[in-house]
Amino acid sequence: MSLLSESDRQAVRTQLAGISRPVTLLFFTQTFGEPETARLTKQIVDEVASLNEKVTVEEVSFVLDKERAAQYGIDHIPAIVVLRDGEDTRMRFLGAPAGYEFMSLIEAVTVAGAADSGLSDASRALIREHVTEPTNIQVFVTPT
Amino acid sequence: MSLAHRMAVESPHIQATCVEATEFLDLSRRYHVSGVPKTIVNDTIEIMGALPEDAFVREVLGRPDSDISPPPA
Repeated sequence: MSLLSESDRQAVRTQLAGISRPVTLLFFTQTFGEPETARLTKQIVDEVASLNEKVTVEEVSFVLDKERAAQYGIDHIPAIVVLRDGEDTRMRFLGAPAGYEFMSLIEAVTVAGAADSGLSDASRALIREHVTEPTNIQVFVTPT
Repeated sequence: MSLAHRMAVESPHIQATCVEATEFLDLSRRYHVSGVPKTIVNDTIEIMGALPEDAFVREVLGRPDSDISPPPA
């Protein structure tokens, strides 16, 4: 069953049309006792993958595959890690990217697949010059 | 959200996570999230609300005032 209307599906298809590289949505969840939002998150990532052939979903068990959870620093579920060509883009989602945040997921897939951050030259220069240590950014949002 | 994600793509040192505040109340409490969007950098810098790209990047880098020309006299 689709979460999106046909016109929304078409809009997302159009937005994703520009991606040139394979994008994997690593979806961390668990089979038993999963949080309520895990099922919704799975529906969302599956729907996005259904709209572009370069986008795939790989489900990872948070319980059984502790090694990969540790590799990507995942300590809560549901979580999504965005990969490009199998490599970590360091873009993550904790919780279901529903409502307004659905567009953030589509943007993240677009940025990953285009292999370009889209930031201004000034921002790129600032980041190049000043970011030399591990920097962890968490942005708290709500679905509506 | 997208600016933090774009910064992560730009630098191998940056990781950016979009956190649903209502789903992870433990994290929301830990970082005293009372409004959104709220951005936390390395558990030390707090940014309230949405900012234009230039301002957001400077805040994340902890250099909010660098290279900003003084206001006209």
